[in-house]
Amino acid sequence: MSDESKVREESAGLMEYSVENLVPFGPIHPALKEPEYFKLILEGEKIVQVIPRIGYVHRGLEKAAESRPWVQNMYMFERTCGICSFVHSLCYGQAVEGLTIYEVPRRAKYIRLIIAELERIHSHLLWVGLMGHWAGFETMFMWVWNDREVVLDLVEAISGNRVHKSMNAFCGVRRDMPENMEDRIVERMKFITDRAHYYREIIDTEETMLARTENVGNKINQETAEKLCAVGPMARYVGLRQDVRLNDPYAAYDEVPFDIVTRTEGDVRALLRLRLDELVVSANMISYAVKHLPEGPIRVKIAPIIPAGEHSSHCEAPRGEIFYYVKSTGGRTPDRVKSRQPTMANIPAALELLKGQTLADVPMVLTAIDPCFGCMDRMSFLETGSQKQWTWSGEQLRQYGIKHYFPERFNANHSKFKEAH
Amino acid sequence: MSENLLEQLQTYAAQSNGKISVARKGETFIEVDQDHIKDFISHLINDLRILHLATITGLDLGQNIGIIYHFEQDKDTIHVRSTVPKAQSTAVSIVDIIPGAILYEMEIHDMFGVTFTGNPWINQKLLLPDNWPDDLPPPLLKTTKPAEIRKRLHLEVEQK
Amino acid sequence: MFESLTKWARTRSPWVYHINASSCNGCDIELVASLTPRYDIERFGAVLVPSPRHADVLIVTGTVNAQTKDRLKRVYDQVPEPKHVIALGACAVSGGVFKGCYNAGQGIEDVIPVDMFIPGCPPRPEAIMYGVLKLLGAVK
Repeated sequence: MSDESKVREESAGLMEYSVENLVPFGPIHPALKEPEYFKLILEGEKIVQVIPRIGYVHRGLEKAAESRPWVQNMYMFERTCGICSFVHSLCYGQAVEGLTIYEVPRRAKYIRLIIAELERIHSHLLWVGLMGHWAGFETMFMWVWNDREVVLDLVEAISGNRVHKSMNAFCGVRRDMPENMEDRIVERMKFITDRAHYYREIIDTEETMLARTENVGNKINQETAEKLCAVGPMARYVGLRQDVRLNDPYAAYDEVPFDIVTRTEGDVRALLRLRLDELVVSANMISYAVKHLPEGPIRVKIAPIIPAGEHSSHCEAPRGEIFYYVKSTGGRTPDRVKSRQPTMANIPAALELLKGQTLADVPMVLTAIDPCFGCMDRMSFLETGSQKQWTWSGEQLRQYGIKHYFPERFNANHSKFKEAH
Repeated sequence: MSENLLEQLQTYAAQSNGKISVARKGETFIEVDQDHIKDFISHLINDLRILHLATITGLDLGQNIGIIYHFEQDKDTIHVRSTVPKAQSTAVSIVDIIPGAILYEMEIHDMFGVTFTGNPWINQKLLLPDNWPDDLPPPLLKTTKPAEIRKRLHLEVEQK
Repeated sequence: MFESLTKWARTRSPWVYHINASSCNGCDIELVASLTPRYDIERFGAVLVPSPRHADVLIVTGTVNAQTKDRLKRVYDQVPEPKHVIALGACAVSGGVFKGCYNAGQGIEDVIPVDMFIPGCPPRPEAIMYGVLKLLGAVK
């Protein structure tokens, strides 16, 4: 009995601490010992603390990079993530290019921009579809992913693959833009823009999306977002003008005109609006870049031995800032490569977003930060009042959320699956 | 980097016993020892308003382990490096100044074995698997071999 | 006779459980894309289920690292007989690009028995559908 009251006291302390204080990380609750991906501690229906455990996809890339040739690492780091693979290889490439004396040709910079923005569009569309899926709006999910195929067709026409494009090489790109692509690209970008406007209308008016995204998510202010090192849309949706393409332009971003999108509402719906607006900006950038593509070589061949030194580079991936640090001792293989993905930088902010939210809102808030799929695969929960602990798969959590908001809909569609709580 | 910023960095570096060097293309490297690192970073954040910490990198330097804090502001990147000896790898945590650094410090603890005093989650694993043997050295040290790790984690299968 | 009836039902509508064992998500996205209208694997009756206990077919992506190895075995045990396993993507087939990394396996066949390998990095949705349907053809 004394243990229970002690636990209650401790967790009450956590809740107070987090609401008043900027430093949100209290001690780890002693009762939770399971190796699941996210551990959520609840008081009643509200989340008090979240502890991440992200080792499920750790494969040891940084160590392997130290024994592989420079150019091989580019294609290995591409496969860190299937959604923003081009930006990984671009950032690594830029970090290594900075150690050499060579410059990237102008045409290659434009092609890099085009592929990076196509990737941004595909990633945002993927995410919008997923938000629909998690909200219980399957139709939107199907329609958005169908439109996404248009973008993947373009990517395949230019690079030969839908997901891992392998377009980058040191100081250039490996393939040139095919002939007569300009009209096709401009037409498809117009199509994507129209569809983005349509989806924007849907999220502003449709009942499912409104119910599940408006005022959902703990509101954080700009100072908190900065102190928690939030990047990308997680910083921009509270009004910070933080975008690597604007602050420190790379590739052709200093020549192609654009403006970044920021919002101030600070809830999940703001993130939806922000990413859809960013989509439209990317489509315009691609149309511009394709019309103004400069002539010239696409690549400068460099020696396989990279001079000694240290350099870092950062790029704006669809989810936020990617950062690579590279150290060379003048050999054929790197001495150290450090790669920091955007999701890792956004996890502290995500933990803050979940504070005080109800269990039914957890799926929407977690998906809103745009995490990797697998992150959502398995979560364990501890309710401090009843001391009840349970584990759910992502699907079970999703169905719990839909059932909570739309009980009639849940019963109609999923009657054959017994709820596993 | 603007002259003004460079001057201010030099002032604070001098106060913190630090060495500053400017590499190519707007990258500045500053060496600061463990006694002064927290003060120096406080100056960066509170006085110079350089708020964005990109990440913290660990580095195997032979006898020591290097800890590099990468700060960014517009086109400038400032790498602040501090070292701890391998024999006694404890470092100062900056989580109370920059809460967002919590996961980066956990990662260096996993990969290099450096304990950051003051980080409330430092003893929990972030990336390494749960069945990581206690007597196995941290993976990113140069002396640890991948083949040995695979054997101890039971990832190798005998060829039939 | 009852057995051949259930076999007929199973091949008409395979219930598929998807598990991500340390994948970069490329294969997972192509698998989910095969549900979308352009490819529409559901017209062949394949349905993604939320629990392994309801599944006939287990699709696994990713190189299995030390953290996910036990979980993969547990999930495999939860799938009721008769069950089939599909290894999706180069990582699940042989370790892919990550073979030799200190926390990456070398294909899921070391952990659980596999009935169908679908190579590719990632395999296209058409390739995934072909693999799943070929597996069912073998069952039939």
